[in-house]
Amino acid sequence: MFDLYLPMFLMFAIAAGVAAGMFSLGQFVGKNPQSAEKLTPFECGNDTEGAGNVRLSVKFYLTAILFVVFDIEVVFIYPWAALFKGLGWVGFASMLMFVVALLVALVYCWKKGALEWEK
Amino acid sequence: MTGFSGGIIEALPYLFAFFVGAMIPRRQGWAERVGIGVVGVLAVAFVMGLWPEAADAEATQAVTRADEWPQLLNVIVFLPIVGAVAILFAPRQNPKLLRAMTMGILAADFLISLGLLRANMTTGWHFQYVTEWLPTFGIRYHVAIDGISLWMVLLSTVTTPIAALVSFGSIKKRTKDLCFAMLLLHGGMLGAFVSLDLFLFYVFWELMLIPMVILIGVWGGVEKIKAAYKFLLFTMAGSVLMLAAILYMVWAHRQAAGFVTFDYLAMSNLVLPRTAATLCFIAFAFAFVVKVPMWPLHTWLPDAHVQAPTGGSIILAAVLLKLGTYGYVRFCMGMLGGPAYDRAATLAGVAVGGGILYGALCAWKQTDVKRLVAYSSVAHMGFVMLGLFAATTSGIKGALLTMINHGIATGALFLLVGVIYDRRHTRLVSEFGGLAKVMPVYAAVFVIVTMASIGVPGTNGFVGEFMVIVGTFVSSALGRHGSIQAVLATFGVILAAVYMLSVVQKMFFGPITNKRNENLPDMNVRETLAVAPLVALIFVLGLFPSLVLDTMDSSVAHVIDKYNSGRDSHRGNTIDELRLLNPSPKGDDPTSYDHNYPVPPKSDDDESANAASRPLSTAVALGQGVSRGVAR
Amino acid sequence: MDLVIALSPLLAVGFGGLMLMLAEAFGKPSEEGISKTTGDVVDAGAGRGAELGLGASVVLIAGAVMAVGVWIVGPETLEGVADVAPYLLIDRFSLFFTFVLCLGGAFTALLGGGYLPEHRIDRSEFFPLVLFSTFGAIALAMSGDLLSLFVGLETMSLGVYCLIGLRRGSARATEAALKYFLLGSFAAALTLFGAALLYGATGHTDLVGIGEAVATIGQPDSTVAAMPVLLALALTLAGLGFKVAAVPFHQWTPDAYEGAPTPATAFMAAVVKTAAFAILLRVLLVGFGEERLMSWGTGWPPVIATLAVLSMTVGNVVAGRQESVKRMLAYSSIAHAGVALVGVAATIRSTEDATASVLFYLLVYTVSTAGAFGALILCGSRGAEAVSYEDLAGIAKRHPAAALAFSLFLLSLAGFPPTAGFFGKLYVFQSAIDSELYVLVIIGLVNSLIGAYYYVRVMVYMYMREPVPGAPVAKPMSSGMVTSAIVLAALLVLGLGILPGVSLDMAIAAAARGG
Repeated sequence: MFDLYLPMFLMFAIAAGVAAGMFSLGQFVGKNPQSAEKLTPFECGNDTEGAGNVRLSVKFYLTAILFVVFDIEVVFIYPWAALFKGLGWVGFASMLMFVVALLVALVYCWKKGALEWEK
Repeated sequence: MTGFSGGIIEALPYLFAFFVGAMIPRRQGWAERVGIGVVGVLAVAFVMGLWPEAADAEATQAVTRADEWPQLLNVIVFLPIVGAVAILFAPRQNPKLLRAMTMGILAADFLISLGLLRANMTTGWHFQYVTEWLPTFGIRYHVAIDGISLWMVLLSTVTTPIAALVSFGSIKKRTKDLCFAMLLLHGGMLGAFVSLDLFLFYVFWELMLIPMVILIGVWGGVEKIKAAYKFLLFTMAGSVLMLAAILYMVWAHRQAAGFVTFDYLAMSNLVLPRTAATLCFIAFAFAFVVKVPMWPLHTWLPDAHVQAPTGGSIILAAVLLKLGTYGYVRFCMGMLGGPAYDRAATLAGVAVGGGILYGALCAWKQTDVKRLVAYSSVAHMGFVMLGLFAATTSGIKGALLTMINHGIATGALFLLVGVIYDRRHTRLVSEFGGLAKVMPVYAAVFVIVTMASIGVPGTNGFVGEFMVIVGTFVSSALGRHGSIQAVLATFGVILAAVYMLSVVQKMFFGPITNKRNENLPDMNVRETLAVAPLVALIFVLGLFPSLVLDTMDSSVAHVIDKYNSGRDSHRGNTIDELRLLNPSPKGDDPTSYDHNYPVPPKSDDDESANAASRPLSTAVALGQGVSRGVAR
Repeated sequence: MDLVIALSPLLAVGFGGLMLMLAEAFGKPSEEGISKTTGDVVDAGAGRGAELGLGASVVLIAGAVMAVGVWIVGPETLEGVADVAPYLLIDRFSLFFTFVLCLGGAFTALLGGGYLPEHRIDRSEFFPLVLFSTFGAIALAMSGDLLSLFVGLETMSLGVYCLIGLRRGSARATEAALKYFLLGSFAAALTLFGAALLYGATGHTDLVGIGEAVATIGQPDSTVAAMPVLLALALTLAGLGFKVAAVPFHQWTPDAYEGAPTPATAFMAAVVKTAAFAILLRVLLVGFGEERLMSWGTGWPPVIATLAVLSMTVGNVVAGRQESVKRMLAYSSIAHAGVALVGVAATIRSTEDATASVLFYLLVYTVSTAGAFGALILCGSRGAEAVSYEDLAGIAKRHPAAALAFSLFLLSLAGFPPTAGFFGKLYVFQSAIDSELYVLVIIGLVNSLIGAYYYVRVMVYMYMREPVPGAPVAKPMSSGMVTSAIVLAALLVLGLGILPGVSLDMAIAAAARGG
């Protein structure tokens, strides 16, 4: 049973090795300029100090989740495209239904005001 | 022409539904009325569509006698039930109309039930009506009467109108609910007395539970809710066990005969494995004994009686308790004769010690008259059960007669207690004294009823209890204890005289001790009217008991037959054998009791059809044995 | 074309949901509606609860009618059905469930149409969500493959999470929704884990293939290991046990049921539970229907029996101790799941009868419980809701019809003849006796005694007690939609109780084709 999973263990080991190797390589090979900017923790535009629970507008989340939803759904179109010929008209019809459902969802979001940034 | 009139008759339910729908109060516009009427028609069409095809009209024709109208029992049972539904649509604000409707329905039901007397109660079942209800499950709608249930039906149709009449005198609030509960209860009791299909019986048995709980709980005394719960839980516990036994017997019958049925006759031909038979008997007997009630399951009765309104008490004492004893005769003795025989001596001891003697002693010590009458019920029902356990002809006949007598006498006693309670709002014996001077008629009636309850010769109480005691002496089921139990039961009669006469003496004779009793009015017209038929019946049955006894002859003989054959087959049975006594009784022999009994049809869906007399594990195990392991 | 006919109930509900969504988005909020919403933002379609509720119920009833239509045509005669198998199995089994689920959804929509405007939470998302959730439930009941099973399960659940949290301002509702969401996701994850293990062990995702692979366990040339299969079975049972609210996976039930708006509670009790039982039966009988796994010693029957005993006992005993009627109904729904599980356990010997008994029981339970929640809704109004027993004291005087209807449904839940509940229970217990599960039957019957106590307790308050002076009492509302839902449920409760013939034959036919 173990020989069945051996390639997987090997893959894990190599991946871990590569990641660890990369980091340590940078430590040994690269230059180490010490500056104030370099010493601050990693940041992405937020203040690094202050209260932890900063209140953000719900609009950010809404936009993000809508993006994820439609993005993921578009992903389904790829496998269909790959098998377009084999699926034939039945496949086309089902995809059409899928797109219509997406469209209705889009219209719904629009009418409900989810796409308006300023209100 | 016939086609046209037939069409009219077929359309009647729809028309009826339309009018009922359209007449619903508090709807103004015609459009709405028509709309609701149409909904009613659709509902009827839906129900009619569900009704199984009436293909078995011929089958019914075959089992009814020429001079008997097969629908008579249906009319008697369903008139009150349909009436109860009709009451729902009557206006709540008009109690007079509600009372008139209820009394009209009950009186009509009584008059129709007199039609049952016209039949010549010869061997066999009468006024049969049978139709398939749920063929897949072998459930039929099968009603019939014999010499036993005939009197139970009449007892109910006589006493319920009286109870209703009394209730309408004392209960003024929520008349609509009262009428609904009374009618539904009445229909349920009648249905239980005439059902010959176990499923149907169970449906009616449970149907009367809730109306009785409502009667106790809504119009009862201070502790009404506790009493209602007690009544509900005791009875429900019994019926739950009975349901388990019914399901087991149906399954066993399917194993033995290869088809599913809930039929009474089919079940009585079933010989169960010994342990299973005993368990089934205990389950059935528990359900019935709770209803009777027998010591130590009697504790709900005094509470229920004391808290219930007068009308409720009358129905409870006169009819509802009889369902327990009737159920014992019909189902325990008829279907499970073997274990019934085995346990008869023990149970008879309980009936004598816990019922007759203990009940009488408890009654003696009561200060509340109603509670006293309730405990006297326990004692009287002890006599009934004793007669049934003895299982001799005179024992059973005496028991059946005592059931009728107790219904009449105790019903009348509760009525009379209700009369005095309405005037003084107390029932304590110590509050009264010397009532005979201010209420002479009342006192006279009370004394007569007391005599009947004690069993003075000439009144009805005497014949029944005498026959029970005679039957107990010669009983083979009770063995050598029979004579001792008969002697002890005789002491019970004496005790009855002690507690009843002492309370009569304290309440009615001597000087008037309490000032408030000086100006009590005597019985009014309504009360006299209600009690008169009962008093008349006391004398009629006391002087001419053969009116009742003769019609019972063949039915009682039949019960004893079934009981004895059940006993013999049970004795001869091994521990785990399941078989049929005499498979498929033939309807050809006109001398046999069941010659006109419609045999349940064999449904053909079963794979176990040829598995008759298969040995069967009686071990009550949670499932089947262990097989090989999946995980190695 | 065949396929469209066969899938018509599902398609009708799905498209109905889309249309309703558009209608909601384009609908103008009614003047009345604006004043009735608690939300600070006035949505499009707010205050249109009655119209949308009517629309949703029409769609769902159409779905039920279509299911009956496909039943009459006969799914065997439609050849296109094979195209979607095993992802969606259209047989009599799933059609029966489609009918029941659509019925339950329609009750919810009708109740919602009355309840939401009355209580000023007239958020019109409710109705599309009900439709999509029912869509997921139907898909779940139809699925014959682990993939579509999971998709259906999640589609159904996601909608319900939102339904529970509809009352956004209320802390209880939020807590209920969050609790159900977290535990529900966890249960779904367990189911998914079980599915993954099953695929790993057998190489199949369709239940028939899994069943065949599992049957080879123990044969000399078998490649299927027993251990992962048993583990997967346990995980699947835990996941589905959560959805049917069987003890010990019931912890979320009372809070979620109580916090949710009452129509959503009815939806959870009726639709979600029914759909979960559908797939539970399918998974157990098809996927794990192998002889050894269905035997008492080595398979799932003792597990199911234990769940049944625990659910019935805990559900009933705890329900008897509740002071809130809604919570009592929540616990009683746990007990009812236990009774249905008795039927599932009984499939070990009399498979078809027992399956049919579960189907019939679920139909009866859906109608009775939807009716009971409906009557509870009818008994209360805004500011005077019917929550505790005391609220209901003396309601028989203030609104006799509501009290009568409530009593009818309670008696059906308690299993009194001649209501439908009695026959449902009888059939389940009878099939359990056929499988010689005597102890289960005895425990079940004792439990129905306990059940009778607390169901009748509601009636005692309604009929026999007077409200304490000064205490808050429930004031009955008036709503045509709630009333019509109750009338429909009452007719069904009596009809199925007195003349169950047709529906019973349907259940038996469904059990013969499915499983």
